[in-house]
Amino acid sequence: MIHTLITSFRLKNTYRVNSIIYSIKGLPIIRKVLSNDLYKSKFLKVLGNIISIIIEICSIFLGKFLYIWLAISSIAVIYQTDPTNTFLHLFFFLTLAGGILNTYMFNPTKDKYYAIVIMNMDANQFAISNYSYSMLKVFVGFLPFTIIFGTLAQIPLWICILLPFFVVMIKMTVIGNMIRKYKQKGVVNNENLPTKVSWIILILLLVIAYGFPYVGIVLPVNIFLFLCMISFLLGTISFMQIYHFKDYKKMYKLLLTPENVYALQNANSTKTIKDNIASNINYDGEITSDKKGFAYFHELFIKRHSKLLTKSAKKQTLFIVVVFSILIMISYMIPELREKLNNIPLTYLPYFVFIMYLLNRGTTITQAMFMNCDHSMLTYRIYRTPRVILGVFKERIKTLIKINLLPSSVLGLGLMLLLYTTGGTDNFWNYLILFVSVNAMSIFFSVHYLVMYYLLQPYNVNTEIKSSTYTIVQSLTYFACYYMIQLHLPTISFGIATIIFSIAYSFISLLLVYHFAPKTFKLRI
Amino acid sequence: MKLIIKDLKKKFDQKEVLNGIYFEFEKGKIYGLLGRNGAGKTTLFNCINEDLSVDEGEIFIQEGKTDESRKLEAEDIGYVLSIPNVPEFLTAREFLKFFIEINEDRIHNPKTIDEYFEFMKIEIEDRDKLLKDYSHGMKNKMQMLVNIIASPNILLLDEPLTSFDVVVAEEMKQMLKTIKNDHIIIFSTHIMELALDLCDEIVILNKGVLKKMNKSNLNHNQFKKKIIEALKEE
Repeated sequence: MIHTLITSFRLKNTYRVNSIIYSIKGLPIIRKVLSNDLYKSKFLKVLGNIISIIIEICSIFLGKFLYIWLAISSIAVIYQTDPTNTFLHLFFFLTLAGGILNTYMFNPTKDKYYAIVIMNMDANQFAISNYSYSMLKVFVGFLPFTIIFGTLAQIPLWICILLPFFVVMIKMTVIGNMIRKYKQKGVVNNENLPTKVSWIILILLLVIAYGFPYVGIVLPVNIFLFLCMISFLLGTISFMQIYHFKDYKKMYKLLLTPENVYALQNANSTKTIKDNIASNINYDGEITSDKKGFAYFHELFIKRHSKLLTKSAKKQTLFIVVVFSILIMISYMIPELREKLNNIPLTYLPYFVFIMYLLNRGTTITQAMFMNCDHSMLTYRIYRTPRVILGVFKERIKTLIKINLLPSSVLGLGLMLLLYTTGGTDNFWNYLILFVSVNAMSIFFSVHYLVMYYLLQPYNVNTEIKSSTYTIVQSLTYFACYYMIQLHLPTISFGIATIIFSIAYSFISLLLVYHFAPKTFKLRI
Repeated sequence: MKLIIKDLKKKFDQKEVLNGIYFEFEKGKIYGLLGRNGAGKTTLFNCINEDLSVDEGEIFIQEGKTDESRKLEAEDIGYVLSIPNVPEFLTAREFLKFFIEINEDRIHNPKTIDEYFEFMKIEIEDRDKLLKDYSHGMKNKMQMLVNIIASPNILLLDEPLTSFDVVVAEEMKQMLKTIKNDHIIIFSTHIMELALDLCDEIVILNKGVLKKMNKSNLNHNQFKKKIIEALKEE
């Protein structure tokens, strides 16, 4: 048993260390310095092992510390009820919820998958030794914090020491139950996908935990202790069941399917994003185009992706109309607020840079362009001739600007109207500049995203992002726009600056595209 | 017309994948490119297709009998990948229409779209379906067709027949034989029988260089043996 535990621990550690080395290798500058036989390097192995140990220790203590501190200790004092009792009350019901959510045994993790399915280790020994270790970790991890925070809540020391045992017993009771269910019905529940019943129980437990103290109901200490006793009894019976169960291999075969094990990874994978975008193609036979060449190709793309492209812009526009209608109504109903509302169009224009950033569909549209169109088309050499690249680019920039101008022009009009209804301005130019600058921002973002896409085309044939420059430019765009939030500048000067900047930026970047895109717009290898 | 590769070198990190390739490919022939896994066949194709920049050397075209050479243009190359890529939001007919329109000036004897479908044996009922709903093999047919329509001087085929069923694979083989006179066709594959059956020349890529295998007066089995020995050379 100990041998199995050590083997499985070494296996887990090996791939943990390798993934640490892999991440180190992914760092931009360091990558160049390091050679290829990194995984053999003693120094890196030692470094990886140290980091691995730190991760293991953090996994034992850090989570439990944060949990008891944030979810229990700091909340128990908020209520009017007795803090000691409230602490125990929260601890009790959250432990029940945690027992369902965090079983360890029924979490389809990679270490189990590698050991049992791929390496064919003895499943019974693996399950029991690793489960015992994880329960030991629970106990050791909880003990210091139940003592520290428990004592602070004036809970007697012996109860503080009792609490980690209670957690372990509850967890074992849940497992015992699940093993019984498997024996009877042959069903295994993946803890990451709670059943409907589990969800209802979880919600109920949370309501009892955090809701009841609010109305003055908490679990009395005596009853708490009585329930603890019962949990010890049930836990011990369950432990015997867990220990004597001999069918872990079969049970784990049901749980450890690649879909379960890689669920999280799959959800974020580019393949899922690609499938998602591909499912947005609408084809009803009626969508056609009577144009020719690039225009034909592009028009069909836009029409078949209207769900992703034009429809969402229309929804945004509707939303803007609603927001401004409300603001204008408020200005009529509560005249005192007029002056404040009047400030929005006159000094908060920089804020709208961020709003325009959020509204712009550039990222989604270029992503769709890649996933559903360029991903395949770029493999045809003819599609990469300057004539075709620039031909398609021209069509795209026109459409992208058009799509984004719909919400922005309505936003511009909304701002003008808001300015007018909240008392107007002495300077007539404010109206004009508001409208033009908001639309200039919109054009800027449209150009920006498409130009970045053409100049830095970041995807490879597997639709993975391979360009760190692209990611950096994306984040810089975000931070620059976010920074604008705090600026309060008069509309006239900021507006004119925005307009000039947008025109200059668009002009320069279009020149860059015409010059460089035929070279840069290709699949990354 | 000849495709000439001269002193081509390409390395990744420290590993030299292409190590001074010198080779001349001639029009009218199908070249079977054989190499072991990781030998660099795809890298070679990517270099010819300018997807990868080369470290050293040059690739150019020599036309006519004179020594006049010119650089490769995008229009010279058709590259059929082993995993077919087609724009999923278009129907087969729309895809062809677009392709024919943007290549108008390069297609000398244009046919109707349906004639092209006939040529590639794509059934009438499939012609107006979204490519998204095409099977792997059908997508592969479309990819091949589009690459052939524009009639590029050089056709690079990366394991193109593996996804076809036996009937279609046979059709495609015949089709390649009918068009070979106008092209330089380089065909990479792991299936030796296919290479021997279809190709006029066998070229192996080993240790980063290309080597033409001469059959001389060997019989089929002896030639196979010779190729395997050459591939095994370390």
